[in-house]
Amino acid sequence: MARDRGNSDAYVRPIRRILIGGLVLFLLAIFLIWRIDSPRVERFRAQIVDRIVPSFDWALIPVTKAAGMIEDFQSYSRIYEQNQELRRELQQMKAWKEAALQLEQKNAKLLDLNNVRLDPKLTYVTGVVLADSGSPFRQSVLLNIGSRDGIVDGWAATDGLGLVGRISGVGRSTARVILLSDANSRIPVAIQPSGQRALLAGDNSSLPLIEFLESPELVRPGDRVVSSGDGGVFPAGILVGQVAQGADRRLRVRLSADYERLDFLRVLRSMPKPPLNDPGGLVLPNGAAAILEGAETEAADG
Amino acid sequence: MAEGLTASRWIYGLAYLALTSVLILWSILPIQIGPRGYPGPDLLLAITFAWVLRRPQYVPTPLIALVFLITDMLFMRPPGLWSALVVLGVEFLRAREASSRELPFPVEWAMVSGVMIAMLIADRLIQTVLMISQAGFGLAILQLIATILAYPLIVLLSRLVFGIEKMTPGETDIMGRPR
Repeated sequence: MARDRGNSDAYVRPIRRILIGGLVLFLLAIFLIWRIDSPRVERFRAQIVDRIVPSFDWALIPVTKAAGMIEDFQSYSRIYEQNQELRRELQQMKAWKEAALQLEQKNAKLLDLNNVRLDPKLTYVTGVVLADSGSPFRQSVLLNIGSRDGIVDGWAATDGLGLVGRISGVGRSTARVILLSDANSRIPVAIQPSGQRALLAGDNSSLPLIEFLESPELVRPGDRVVSSGDGGVFPAGILVGQVAQGADRRLRVRLSADYERLDFLRVLRSMPKPPLNDPGGLVLPNGAAAILEGAETEAADG
Repeated sequence: MAEGLTASRWIYGLAYLALTSVLILWSILPIQIGPRGYPGPDLLLAITFAWVLRRPQYVPTPLIALVFLITDMLFMRPPGLWSALVVLGVEFLRAREASSRELPFPVEWAMVSGVMIAMLIADRLIQTVLMISQAGFGLAILQLIATILAYPLIVLLSRLVFGIEKMTPGETDIMGRPR
């Protein structure tokens, strides 16, 4: 009996070793393919997530809501302080509201005077946060809207007030939003009022860093940071937050979006602008005559 | 007898699957979004190692590979790398399961910690060589420490809740393999 087993052991052990070796090689092959052709594997990943996470839908939403209720219940204990705080804030808000109303009227008047047409295509789709990244090293959330709702990689997600992140990875019914605090997040921003361009780079902390700033001396803590748009699909002019200076004297951004309460996210639908491909007609020696002719006829018509 | 054992293998295999699913589900719940101060322990890894060192027959390596590949996909890690390292670590421990039955717990703890440290170093090294952007090293170290500290607790809980204990001589055959 024991001898039999010993025999089978002699066969089983090498086979087992080969199988395990094959398994490890298979996993490493997936990793290498991902490293070589990342977009394709990331699409595959989005499909897998799309398949798995919505099937947990029945558990995700009730448990999240229950946890939220417990948290809300805990907040009853400090309800008095909160009330006082809210009163103070409300008082400040009233002043701001007045200022905002006046500015809005002024803005409308100026727009009217200038005959400006705002981009009518900037509408949004709202999605519910299904899940977060699950790992402490990745800052992302999964929304319950995807390619069937027309979501496109690179669009911006806001919580209604401030920028939250950008879409990265779209499945049929889910889409992943990489938060601004993720170590892989890089968003081009403009700092008002100096109008300087910089990159907002996440570093896994709640205050992302400002990088590639040309003249930091023009930027003060408290300046407004807005997105500056890039790649044609990321909309410009969305509020990101305010400049703050970290303990290490580096410039960071205090985000306007409330990451503690991300329940619904708005994904801004922005269409790519038509690219400018023609190389300025007047510079071309060959086409110059035709363009001049066209200009003359236009002048004659006008 | 044999049927009963096969059934228990299936049941514990399913229990492992269910437990890991619950842990994955728990970690992707959007309860706290955004950066946290300290990363919690990697409970999946601790449970897998604890079970492999106690009942290796309940957690077949392909099952472990599948679970970790899915978590790689869900947690936005480079797919395949971490699961390959976990498979290697599990195989290393599985080969030493029989000889570690008589070892006192601190020795086992040290062995598991050593494997975890080696896995982390290999993971960081490979990612650095292939120039993949990674999270801060400090966070990874904190998580490793948390996982190592959580390991005895996981062992205790698997014993109390699932009855996963080290195998006794009566439960193995002459060759020292689980009967």
